[in-house]
Amino acid sequence: MRDFDREEVSRPHTPTRGDRDELYSIVSQVGEGTFGKVYKARNTTNGLNVALKRIRMEAERDGFPVTAMREIKLLQSLRHDNVVRLYEMMVSNGSVYMVFEYMDHDLTGILSQSGFSFTDAHLKSLCRQMLAGLAYLHHKGVIHRDIKGSNILLNNRGELKLADFGLARFYQKRRRSDYTNRVITLWYRPPELLFGTTVYGPEVDMWSAGCIMLELFTKRPVFQGNDEIHQLEFIFKILGTPTAERWPSVAELPWYELVKPKEEIPNHFREMFRKWLSPAALDLADQLLAFDPTRRATAVQALEAAYFKEESPPEAMPTGLANLEGEWHELETKRERAKKRRRDGAQ
Amino acid sequence: MATDFWASSHYKRWILDRATLKQARVDDLQYVDYPEQLDFLNIYFASLIFKLGKRLQLRQRVIATATVFFRRFYVKNSYCETDPFIVISACCYVAAKAEESPVHIKNVVAESRQVYSQEEYGIKHFPTDNSKLAEMEFYLVDDLECDLVVFHPYRTLMSLCGREAVATIAEAGELGIGINDGPRYWGTGEGKLELEEGPLQMAWFIINDTYRSELCLLYPPHLIAIAAIYLTLILNVTTRATLQNQAQAQSAPAPSTRRSSRTSSGTQKKAPQDIVGFMAGLNVSMSLVATIAQEIIGLYTLWERYKEDAAADSGRSAFGRSASSASAGTKRSAPSRDPSVFMGSEELSAGGTPAQPDDVVTPQYLTQLLARMREARLADLAHPASGRPVAVNKMLERTQAAG
Repeated sequence: MRDFDREEVSRPHTPTRGDRDELYSIVSQVGEGTFGKVYKARNTTNGLNVALKRIRMEAERDGFPVTAMREIKLLQSLRHDNVVRLYEMMVSNGSVYMVFEYMDHDLTGILSQSGFSFTDAHLKSLCRQMLAGLAYLHHKGVIHRDIKGSNILLNNRGELKLADFGLARFYQKRRRSDYTNRVITLWYRPPELLFGTTVYGPEVDMWSAGCIMLELFTKRPVFQGNDEIHQLEFIFKILGTPTAERWPSVAELPWYELVKPKEEIPNHFREMFRKWLSPAALDLADQLLAFDPTRRATAVQALEAAYFKEESPPEAMPTGLANLEGEWHELETKRERAKKRRRDGAQ
Repeated sequence: MATDFWASSHYKRWILDRATLKQARVDDLQYVDYPEQLDFLNIYFASLIFKLGKRLQLRQRVIATATVFFRRFYVKNSYCETDPFIVISACCYVAAKAEESPVHIKNVVAESRQVYSQEEYGIKHFPTDNSKLAEMEFYLVDDLECDLVVFHPYRTLMSLCGREAVATIAEAGELGIGINDGPRYWGTGEGKLELEEGPLQMAWFIINDTYRSELCLLYPPHLIAIAAIYLTLILNVTTRATLQNQAQAQSAPAPSTRRSSRTSSGTQKKAPQDIVGFMAGLNVSMSLVATIAQEIIGLYTLWERYKEDAAADSGRSAFGRSASSASAGTKRSAPSRDPSVFMGSEELSAGGTPAQPDDVVTPQYLTQLLARMREARLADLAHPASGRPVAVNKMLERTQAAG
């Protein structure tokens, strides 16, 4: 895999169309992206695996989807150990494919494997890798806007990489601009978006990162709401209702009057998660899940947390993944679950 | 901070040499009356892209990106084998998406029909169907190899010569700021020459004008920006005088060896409005900048003969004025571009009546030329030397190959 990272190999110089058609043979489907299916494929010349993401063109009346264009542009300008690598673009049979480095698992898939668990040192490494990826993105002026388990990929060497930039976009560092608030999968969506703000920055990703951090320890998503209102209620039940002291500007948000909490709930966060998280980990998660976006820890700040710098154990790459049987992505997990349901139903 | 130009596809794959550009026009060259017509076509296409872009209310940066896409596409294709008008529309459409200010495909089709059918162009065959444009977009993105990040000279200009406030405004107008060519990715990263709004505008317009040539395929954008600044300083006499006065006022303690700049750039920073020091302190190849400036002048000389409704906001008018006031005699003296050098007398007569090299060229004439080129090409393909008919429609061929 390392060899493949070299520029000349990852981006063959103007290959002919014929070459490209046979360059990859599809092994299986491994996911469903924002705008198309993702396949595992094998490079027939060097035997290495790649992920092919097909951009659906025929369904698009407006031609090349603008989200795909954005993702291509973003990924072409990003290069970091914790961000998935786009090797090249490929056109074949009337479709456009994005060719990515192949990652064996995604976080949702791996956490659902009851037979497998990470040590605290592994979890610390995963946490740090995720935050390092986010710190890089934010430094580059990119908000991901869809951080969730199935977009966080892992390989058997224990490397974590952020993927699926279909909703990501560049933001202005010096100015806050208006964006849509219909982003981020509901369970990972920060309260300010649920309160309808359209002016936001990279701190929306940090809330999602906080959710992921808890999920790493508890093995399932923490705030599982059914709709926007229920999602807020769910958050309040754990973190308490936002007070003027914890979040001074909350009452100014567009939908505050519509969805504000009916009764005051105290913060139960620490008592609920004490059994999973160490004290320093609790502190960090608490800072990532700050209600007030201006007080939420940035990725750079989070990387400086005592959890990483002081508290033992020191982090260790989760290399045990190589011994795990199968490759686990959310899609495979769903299939497995459906199979199990069918079995249970038959009995 | 921002994307690194030197690591970009723009630098690695799309800065080309002249031989490549010449090779790209080999087929077209067979069907024009004299090679200079191809240079006129460069102006013609760019001004069409500009007009369509304006009607679609695209920002200058988006129009520039569309033009670069167009030039890149025709590095791999010939005018005589494609329909450049649908390519223009597709370039505007893709550029708008790539620069985060998308327009609706229906608008592009409608506005294209409007612009092209104007009397001065007289192109009537543009399809009404959205799907034709969407299909063209697909081929375009393919031939662009999905390299959608384009760097432009505007950023360099603003970071070198804009006053703080101006720079911020220009920046605020730019969506997708992270992928712009950053503050400074070359040279020493230092040095600034504050320009008044007038000259700044002029440099900006000169940059706009460079898109009417193939300069964007030949040179990195920051050098084009510096050439534009250089020309502005040459042409704009008052600015030069003002800056020099400032420099003299400030440079009393500065060493007199200003011209041996590279070593003494430390002292130059104290006298920021010293033109020569500023230029030298940029630490870029001045001979390249001079070459680019020469090419821009060549473009203007050519452009003098391209008659369209006067483009008001072009650097050309200012150039024409100061050039004619300075030395009227040198205006037509770009000898390498003299068409008679390239032109066999046979070719000239074969082309039919009009095209005398010194004649004024109009858009209408070029539209007809394109139609003639295409027809002649089709005829040649239908009756090749081998006697065997071959597939004539590249687009159709590809569609079939794509299934």
